[in-house]
Amino acid sequence: MTVTRAGTRVWAGHPAVGALCRLLLGGVLIYAAFPKLLRPDEFARLVYGYRILHPDLVNLVGITLPWVELVGGALLAVGVAPRSSALVAAGLLGTFMVAGFLALLRGLEVSCGCFFPFMGDHKLGWDLLVRDGLLLLPALQVIVWPSSFLPGVCGTQHD
Amino acid sequence: MSRTSASEIMRAVAGAVAIVLASAALGVLVNHLSDRGIPVLPEPGQERLALALPAGLQPLPVAEAAGLVGRAGVLFLDARTAVDYEEGHVPGAVGFPPGSFEDRYLDLADQIESASRVVAYCSGMECSDSIELGQRLLEVLPGPIYVMEAGWAGWKAAGYPVEVGAEP
Repeated sequence: MTVTRAGTRVWAGHPAVGALCRLLLGGVLIYAAFPKLLRPDEFARLVYGYRILHPDLVNLVGITLPWVELVGGALLAVGVAPRSSALVAAGLLGTFMVAGFLALLRGLEVSCGCFFPFMGDHKLGWDLLVRDGLLLLPALQVIVWPSSFLPGVCGTQHD
Repeated sequence: MSRTSASEIMRAVAGAVAIVLASAALGVLVNHLSDRGIPVLPEPGQERLALALPAGLQPLPVAEAAGLVGRAGVLFLDARTAVDYEEGHVPGAVGFPPGSFEDRYLDLADQIESASRVVAYCSGMECSDSIELGQRLLEVLPGPIYVMEAGWAGWKAAGYPVEVGAEP
């Protein structure tokens, strides 16, 4: 994809920046998925601790969310359907931010549940919401300027 | 900035939905096949909050636990850190972080083995130290072991009495 503004390539749309954004965000999502995949019971309890979902839905989210992270992160890193996988990543980050914001607003003392080990993990705080907000930037970059390591993916815009 | 048509945006959104649905389906399938799988939905008659409790552990609501304080044969085990324990704990509870299970069990073996009901708790609903402690205890006790799932946060929120300080 050629990205120009008045004939000048916009640096933010450079394919190298796109690759960096995909690898960064995809890598973070994959890294975050693994502990949750290994301990779905522990993750389900963490989800419950946020007191947002009906208890009947807690296990379902505990089971499925890590796979969305893993698959979305892997597709994003490689560049398969980059715009769609970046939308998934942005959706996950947005969900985490809303959940964290509501938990902080209600004064809940919960672990972030982001990485391993959960219980030794960072306590949820405003800094984590800022971190998630910053991670939205690479997602936005890929949504606007989709890029891929695979030939032809972005030229044909089939995502 | 690249020009993006409405149809491209719709395609990307549809692709995102497909990724989420396919990943979720994969997760449910793997969970079903895995030894570590958990129930997707509550089973009939099962307490909602016990969804993720392993076999041998029984959930104990805070109100019921409060009625057991001071009763003969009931032993509360606080699975949080010693610092958290000192700042406040269920009256009569004994500190027992699961990380030091072997040593601590030797100290408390008489009390634990003579108790008719053992109740473990940790910080709150999101922690799993009480579950870990309960599972370790089930290796040496017939069970069931009771887990006060709402934990210390639930106890405090309900306004039940609090004991402060280190163990004597």
